[in-house]
Amino acid sequence: MAILTVKKLRKTFPIKGKKLTAVDGVSFSVQKGEIFGLLGVNGAGKSTTINMLTGLTRPDSGSVTMFGKNYFKNEEECKQRCNVATAYYHLSHNLTALQNLKVFANLYNVHNPMEKIRELSEKFMVTHRFNTKVSYLSSGERTRLVIVKALLNNPEILFLDECTVGLDPDVAELVRDHLLQYNKETGCTIIFTSHYMQEVEKLCDRIAFMDSGKIVRVGNAHDLVKELQMQRVTLRFSQNKKEAKSLLRKEGIPFSEKGKMISFQIKNKNKVLYPLLEKFVKKKIVFDDIHVDKPTLEEYFIAQSRNAVKKEVTHK
Amino acid sequence: MRWHRIRALLQNYYYASLNSLDRIFDVIYWPILDIFIWGFMTLYIQGISEFNILNSILGAIVIWVFLWRASQDPVVYILESFWSRSVYHLFAAPVKVSELMVALSILGIVRSLIAFTVMISVSFLLYQFNFFAFNLGHFAMFIGILLLFAWGVGLLISSLVFRFGTRVQVLAWSTIWIIQPFSCVFYPVSALPVWAQKIAVLLPTTHVFEQLRASLAGNTINYGSLVYALVVSVLFTVIMAFVISRAIEKAKKSGRIAKAE
Ligand SMILES: Nc1ncnc2c1ncn2[C@@H]1O[C@H](COP(=O)(O)OP(=O)(O)O)[C@@H](O)[C@H]1O
Ligand SMILES: [Mg+2]
Repeated sequence: MAILTVKKLRKTFPIKGKKLTAVDGVSFSVQKGEIFGLLGVNGAGKSTTINMLTGLTRPDSGSVTMFGKNYFKNEEECKQRCNVATAYYHLSHNLTALQNLKVFANLYNVHNPMEKIRELSEKFMVTHRFNTKVSYLSSGERTRLVIVKALLNNPEILFLDECTVGLDPDVAELVRDHLLQYNKETGCTIIFTSHYMQEVEKLCDRIAFMDSGKIVRVGNAHDLVKELQMQRVTLRFSQNKKEAKSLLRKEGIPFSEKGKMISFQIKNKNKVLYPLLEKFVKKKIVFDDIHVDKPTLEEYFIAQSRNAVKKEVTHK
Repeated sequence: MRWHRIRALLQNYYYASLNSLDRIFDVIYWPILDIFIWGFMTLYIQGISEFNILNSILGAIVIWVFLWRASQDPVVYILESFWSRSVYHLFAAPVKVSELMVALSILGIVRSLIAFTVMISVSFLLYQFNFFAFNLGHFAMFIGILLLFAWGVGLLISSLVFRFGTRVQVLAWSTIWIIQPFSCVFYPVSALPVWAQKIAVLLPTTHVFEQLRASLAGNTINYGSLVYALVVSVLFTVIMAFVISRAIEKAKKSGRIAKAE
């Protein structure tokens, strides 16, 4: 059963008399226990989507069903069963780490608050900073503190908006491990935003790519990551281009050409590219230059959204 | 409304008060400074005039602090949550506007009581000013009305903070000093120019301070005047409670709660 269903969520912000569409008709649904990733470049609308699901920002239109209930009519209950962490908003600067945690434990009516605080703080390594004011903590420590806060009430849905930004790589790794463990142990649903591909690959079951406020692609994380691992090979020919093309056709590799260039995509260098190059040599097909690159996540997003636009146009 | 959340908010304000020198100064340093300046000035004037004004000036100052602290402090604590951006986590938690309002009101009462206690103690030490010699029943009414009105003012300024963000934060410290001259804290309404009197009589605070002077002079007090002040204060605060819940909803629409300032 879906624990969260979002339908046609839309949000515009008035900017200098104009309307900026931050989220443009987003729909998705997340199963209980699933780790769902929202990916996209800066400004894609990930945070605005999360903010609408945590009751911080009101959508212009659209519906949210959480725990089988209308979110906007059951906000108090839903908020009690959720929590959120982000690297961008810290806890009160004037309070110590421990004071902040005590306040939030009480806000969420946590049973045995000190026990819970200790257990989580040890996991996320903030215990040694208990009596330090948040304003004196490093940004990594502040972020870990926020994550501890987010787990205090044993949330059934945990929203994580770029919660590992600014953490040292090894700490980020540890945080991810703990979150994954928490998901496994409690069956907590996690909605996760990030632009680190590796992070998403490791954590998420399913991913939605966002671009300009729209979800342009949703899919199984494994498949999408595989797609991303495709490499683009570009060869430049001043002669033998014809022969190369016929060889590629024979091998069943789709390609595109532009001037002297031929490019095609491969999944695996060892299995596809090297044998292919051997055949080129055998048949004395000479090329001047070879270039192999991997599309960055950003390039991939942009290509994805362009495809989406194309599809939309052809549909019409 | 849930008590555990109100308690958690109060716990937050308690820690914030202890940890910040600014917030401690608010209830100790500034009130003491007020008593010093006004007290010694009054003593000096007392020396060159025949009329006994020490009681009426100090009596006014020590109850004025209820309006001052109970209207300003809630706004300052809201501002703090915007400054540190922890407002994001506060509103992601299941806190209701009504719970926030109750917690801030209690904060206002407690902090004005602390400042008040500091002030009457210092006044006693410096000028042998004995607050407890006054008609305490009257003072309880005065203070009650001032607190009610102060909540309304605090809610109004807080609404503006939610609506327009921290760029209106200066209002937190300035609003009360705009109200003060019209409230006739130290002088009778008749001392004001006519145009200002018209504004003054509308304010509940003016009625409180007029009756304060009557009480101190041993005259009978005008209960009609106090009832007017009470009704206006209650109405004002109820309207402002409505205004702030609208302002918070508006802040969620404009994205102010989750926005870098
Ligand atoms: N509170 C706000 N007021 C005005 N514009 C906003 C606000 N929040 C976000 N935006 C704008 O909406 C767009 C989407 O932002 P955001 O959701 O933060 O993207 P992401 O998290 O994917 O980087 C951006 O153009 C951003 O500038
Ligand atoms: Mg973001």
